[in-house]
Amino acid sequence: MNLSTRKPMKQFFNRADEPTRRQFMQNAARAYLGVHLFPMLGPSIASAAAEGAAKGQKAKHVIYLYMSGGMSHLDTFDPKPRKKDVMGPTETIVGKGEVEISGFLPKTAGVTDKMCIINSLNSTQGAHEQGSYIMHHSYSQRGTIKHPALGSWVMKLGGRLNPEIPGFVAINSNPDVTGGGFFGAKYSAAPIGRPDQGLQDSKRPDAVSEDDFSRRLSLADRLNTKFHERYPNADVKAYEELYREAISLMNSEDLKAFDLAKEDRETRDLYGSGNFAQGCLLARRLIEHDVRFVEVQLGGWDTHYDNFTAVEGRCQEFDQAYAALLTDLDKRGKLKDTLVVVATEFGRTPTIKIEHSNGRDHHPSAFSCVLAGGGVKGGMKYGKTDSSGERIKDDEVSVQDFNATIAYALGLPHDLVLMSPTKRPFKIADKGSPVKSIFG
Amino acid sequence: MLERSTYKTLIVSLVVCLSIPAQGEFSKDANPGDDGEFLAKSALEIDTLIAKFYRQKSLPVPEVANDATFMRRAFLVGIGRIPTAEEALTFLEIEGPSKRVELVEYLMKSKGYSSNMTNWAFDLLRLRDNRQGGANNEPYRNWIRTAMDENMPWDQFVTRLVSSSGNGWDPESASVGYYTIDRGMPLDNLANTMRIFLGSRMECAQCHDDPFGETERMDFYHLAAFTNGQYEQGKNLMTDLWREIRDDREERREEYQVAQLFWDRLYGMSLAGSGKGRIALPADYQYRDGEPGELVGARTPFGRTVRMSDRKDEGDGREEFAEWIVTQTGPQFSTVIANRMWERVMGKGIYEPVDEYIEASDTVYPELMNYLGRLMHEVGYDLRAFQHILMLTKTFQFATNPNPSTLAAGDDFHGRKIERLSSEQIWDSLITLSSGNPDKKSMRSVDNRIYVGNSPVLVGEMDMVQLSTEVLALKSEEEVRKYFEKFVKKVRNGGGKPEGGKSMTMGMTQVKRYGKDAPVRASELPSPAPREHLLYLFGASDREVVEGASKEPNVGQVLSMMNGYVQRQLVNNIDAHLFKSLAGAGSDEEKIRRLYIAIFSRPPSEEEMKWMKEEVDSQGESGFRNIVSALVMSSEFLFLQ
Repeated sequence: MNLSTRKPMKQFFNRADEPTRRQFMQNAARAYLGVHLFPMLGPSIASAAAEGAAKGQKAKHVIYLYMSGGMSHLDTFDPKPRKKDVMGPTETIVGKGEVEISGFLPKTAGVTDKMCIINSLNSTQGAHEQGSYIMHHSYSQRGTIKHPALGSWVMKLGGRLNPEIPGFVAINSNPDVTGGGFFGAKYSAAPIGRPDQGLQDSKRPDAVSEDDFSRRLSLADRLNTKFHERYPNADVKAYEELYREAISLMNSEDLKAFDLAKEDRETRDLYGSGNFAQGCLLARRLIEHDVRFVEVQLGGWDTHYDNFTAVEGRCQEFDQAYAALLTDLDKRGKLKDTLVVVATEFGRTPTIKIEHSNGRDHHPSAFSCVLAGGGVKGGMKYGKTDSSGERIKDDEVSVQDFNATIAYALGLPHDLVLMSPTKRPFKIADKGSPVKSIFG
Repeated sequence: MLERSTYKTLIVSLVVCLSIPAQGEFSKDANPGDDGEFLAKSALEIDTLIAKFYRQKSLPVPEVANDATFMRRAFLVGIGRIPTAEEALTFLEIEGPSKRVELVEYLMKSKGYSSNMTNWAFDLLRLRDNRQGGANNEPYRNWIRTAMDENMPWDQFVTRLVSSSGNGWDPESASVGYYTIDRGMPLDNLANTMRIFLGSRMECAQCHDDPFGETERMDFYHLAAFTNGQYEQGKNLMTDLWREIRDDREERREEYQVAQLFWDRLYGMSLAGSGKGRIALPADYQYRDGEPGELVGARTPFGRTVRMSDRKDEGDGREEFAEWIVTQTGPQFSTVIANRMWERVMGKGIYEPVDEYIEASDTVYPELMNYLGRLMHEVGYDLRAFQHILMLTKTFQFATNPNPSTLAAGDDFHGRKIERLSSEQIWDSLITLSSGNPDKKSMRSVDNRIYVGNSPVLVGEMDMVQLSTEVLALKSEEEVRKYFEKFVKKVRNGGGKPEGGKSMTMGMTQVKRYGKDAPVRASELPSPAPREHLLYLFGASDREVVEGASKEPNVGQVLSMMNGYVQRQLVNNIDAHLFKSLAGAGSDEEKIRRLYIAIFSRPPSEEEMKWMKEEVDSQGESGFRNIVSALVMSSEFLFLQ
């Protein structure tokens, strides 16, 4: 992209003649995309990033599957078959590569040779809001600043690969944990509520001609300029910037990435039905179109009450979709480029609460997350908990270490300091250090 | 109360007029919200304090906003939507020095007030329609909505939530939903109680001493003792019957469905045990001041000390707890709610975050904070009267301030900060444009029907209130079995599952329900908003955490404003209410003016009129559509000034 051909925005808005408006549409797509490719970030970031790239891995994308509510580690990836009083009715299954996981995940057992299960996660935060926040941001939630989410950091440090499509997409997720924070709205995730509905409203409506459409934008822009003059405010500005982004998106060829109907029946069946499964399939499509970071959320893991029935139900939704995702990515040769993360805010207590219909409460001091693809070794478990899954015995991995590992997988500099507008220093994973030994 | 001269005259006349009763007295029989003199006097107190603040800082007092800006702000803050074109035209056209006072009165009396408050209450209380298992929150939701509609005083509201007990379906005790919604996590529930009502953040103390403050894990458990011992009323009388049927459910399918109704949706929604007053320390208790499993008695950590025995279950723990919260924590309870209301109306709390209480003396303006705490108490915790007073102040009318507060931790009283509308305000305003005044539609009503499986039964004959009252009164296993058998027969033979065409009323109130796409206010729609709804897109809370709504922008919102709902329901919809206001408009200019007033709640400037006229001259009819689209997608519509 040639910087010297950029024209100031104003010129495109104030002219009333047709050809210029068409020009505006085309140029908006090219000129105002908030693209941050390496050479444009300024010397310090560029060189540090280059250095980081040399040290780290080469994954290009992240598919971040977030199990919200606190996924029980014992009933999924850290079973303790020798302790019946801890396991209750949960059985185990030995998957590919001799990796033992919960019997609730039979299809996942077929892809454990691609997975690195980390059993030694430790969070300081045992409440949902704080736990989810710190998992997504690496910093504790504070009343005084809004940190950027992990996906936003990836966009900031690594840039977009495709300028015409959002770099960060969040499917069925929570806007509170997928926002750009002090990086600004440009780095917030584009939200998708229902994957089968694609990106809502991304086409110019049939009833509106191209001419009328650009006239509307022109009018709105004039109004906005006046408004912004009266009220020069960052939040107001953020919306204006998004208009540019929205327009470029509408004109993008890559919009079809959001259209699940383009997948064949066989593939759709492989993943299964249900919002989460379709979300995983959409995520695969999106990274194929070079979206950087896609988060897909699956809720309902907060099993204080009737843990086993609830976990079994959640696993059914998760199992087929996850196994399909890894298999499908591998088949298409994208698994080495894509880091597939399974994360949650904390685990659940080994002690079963009989009085709550056999529930399990929150347990942040030891829990499990999974990494697959993106250069990570498969068929392995990293870190160990004690015999009941209560405490970590070996190789503790903090939430920050986990996020630093994700950064490392992408070849992003986890130790690079960026300053917030309020002049405070921040890093992608705070003080975390990547776990390098899990990479092949 | 606008121009300085009028303002000064008012002060002088009040000082001189000694017939004003002593501070704090309005006619005790009357509603404080109806006592115009009292409201005005209180508003003046606040303005006097703010004026003093400015004098102390030697700063000029800001200008007040013009009529149009004030009107839009008052509507959005007071009743959560923009004015209809008719309302706007009316206000802008009337003359008279008291028009703003009259407007505020109009808003406080509007049905829109309670809809607006309901969104706030649902966010604060994490009200979701459904929960895991077969139970739902229908009667609880209705209880909250009714409380807002009837303007239940806040102290009463809190007391009835925290001390609740009994049948979840009975409208009198439906506030038990406060606890049953968190079944299985009573400690998280307690942490939220402390946060919402007392501004005391204790979530972390659930597991360990607070490394930054004074709260200890022991304090947390002492508090948890008050509400300890929650269980479903009478469920043990059905346990054997339930197990029998459940184990045999393939054969006894119909009975199983009825059994589920009883188990999950009847017993499962009741709350027995009114608070033991003691609790066992958890198995992982790590400090030296107690042993895992040791019983500790209830004890309050601040305010007046309330204790309950660790040696026996006293059984009125929740009542004691409620009373302590509301009346025995010094100024804390009243200050927290006063500050929450200040933030609601003025845009920023006197201290922030509003759910982290600090003493008045530590705030940016102790005298004001103290006054507001006392005022809240004085109006008997009438939130509507309190907000009414705030909206009458000159401070509320200050011109919009585009800058963030100059004081880090609270309001600088320099005019309402510009901020994006909440998702509910946006939605409620869009439906006002598309379908007219939404406050004319009836509220969603409670669905009390008895459901077996997914179909309502015995409609018109019996509802959940009656059924639950009868079942919960049964005293033995045998009585339960007998009743159950009789009921199953009744369902089999009785009034029954409605077939297509059969009326659902038969003498009982018709259930008023709105589907997720209905053009009704957010307070009447499903909670949380469905993922594909505009509300979710604009950041409505998923109601899993306290006040979890977001005003963060994203590209999906912009696409929606350009191509989505706005296009379908407003621009391209000739039946949209907003176009009705054009009826009778003589010229293009008049039409443009009315569109501006409907959408922006103000007339266009000369420059804007020129642009819009050009558009219409060039494009004709589609020019008007372009104007509507541009106005609604612009920042001015999305932001509150």
